[in-house]
Amino acid sequence: MAVPFSQMWTVATYVLRQRLRGRRRYPLVLMLEPLFRCNLACAGCGKIQYPGHILKRHLTVEQCLAAVEECGAPMVSIPGGEPLMYPDIGRLVEELVRRRKYVYLCTNALLLEEKLAAGIFRPSRYFSFSVHLDGLGPEHDEAVCRQGVFEVAVAAIRQALDRGFRVTTNTTLFEGADPARVRQFFDAMMDLGVEGMMISPGYSYDKAPDQEHFLRRQRAHELFRAILERPRRRWRFNQSPLFLQFLMGKQDFECTPWGNPTYNLFGWQRPCYLLQEGYAATFRELMETTRWEAYGRKSGNPRCRDCMVHCGYEATAVDHTFTSLRGFKEAVVATVTGRL
Amino acid sequence: MAPERSLEGWTPVIGVEATLEDVVDLAFDYRGDVTVVRTDGTVLTGYVYNRDRHAPEPYLQLFTPDGGAHRLRYADVAGIRFTGKDTAAGKSYEAWRRRRADGDGGPVS
Repeated sequence: MAVPFSQMWTVATYVLRQRLRGRRRYPLVLMLEPLFRCNLACAGCGKIQYPGHILKRHLTVEQCLAAVEECGAPMVSIPGGEPLMYPDIGRLVEELVRRRKYVYLCTNALLLEEKLAAGIFRPSRYFSFSVHLDGLGPEHDEAVCRQGVFEVAVAAIRQALDRGFRVTTNTTLFEGADPARVRQFFDAMMDLGVEGMMISPGYSYDKAPDQEHFLRRQRAHELFRAILERPRRRWRFNQSPLFLQFLMGKQDFECTPWGNPTYNLFGWQRPCYLLQEGYAATFRELMETTRWEAYGRKSGNPRCRDCMVHCGYEATAVDHTFTSLRGFKEAVVATVTGRL
Repeated sequence: MAPERSLEGWTPVIGVEATLEDVVDLAFDYRGDVTVVRTDGTVLTGYVYNRDRHAPEPYLQLFTPDGGAHRLRYADVAGIRFTGKDTAAGKSYEAWRRRRADGDGGPVS
């Protein structure tokens, strides 16, 4: 079990509270993007292609905190851009931890050693670095279009662990991924001592430089089955086992696009972290005026057809776990036996 | 999929090549600055980050390079020119693969 019990308890009670209040749609993880600037230009990323004056902008800490309060989700993920390039990242994390939000700082780790040495972060059970690693050295450096990034990230992870921080990894897999190499990567991450791993297939952003290597749904199922069919007991995933089963084609979930709402320089992004169809000025406006029925696989929306990304389906898996006896039982069995 | 050709440099004739609503949608989807020509003849150059054609009074919003934020009614827009560089039209992945094949992978600096 990679998710700490206190975090799991917080999430479980939060989900049950939402259901008791009759809220059919509720946020689980706020995706907070304080800036779009990044020090990498990864092949599969469609998040950072903006004019220079947009890349120079960033949210204030106060704007970020107002969004967190407005949203109310128990977890806050800080992607970007590269959040370690955000000038107030230390204060932002400190304020979120003070509010007892579970914070995942999603970083490529190129600046992590420098920031750790500067002492701008303090270890907390509420705070985890989520380091982007798309595989072992050759695979990761290929994915981020720069050599040597894997080594830098691994050195930074060691530093963070030595200093008592929670560290997880997040991995995006594309067409051509070798299941045996991915399994070796999982072993390597466990050897390194990370708390848990997150995996997801990539989403085919319109704006991403590489359009050829995104996984279609059937192919994604085959790949994840090959990777996860006989999981090693020592592998720990920082995500729902039911989501992993969904990736393998063993669960039939529908997308929950409101589960991971996104706030950035432009406002509240419609409808989800991946699609950019417009922005709402407030979280309430986002929830009340987005045509949610137009998204998800069953909607027939072609941009949702092959999407299996965790920002859409992890919230479905969590809801299924804590609001149905079957889901709870399946999650417990998978967690206890280690079988997916 | 990525558009086959970039809109960079395009000056659509509103009402002939496309409706204003469609051009605003294209400007919203464009990852570069555009120049908005107002009905009074003045221009505003910036990045269109939002629009709502279904609002009671349809509007677009843009950030300008001087740090400003503007909201314009469709009724005040005469045309839009795609004047800025299309930042999503680059071939960075292909360029990286070529550099790597040439033995230059752009190491971490």
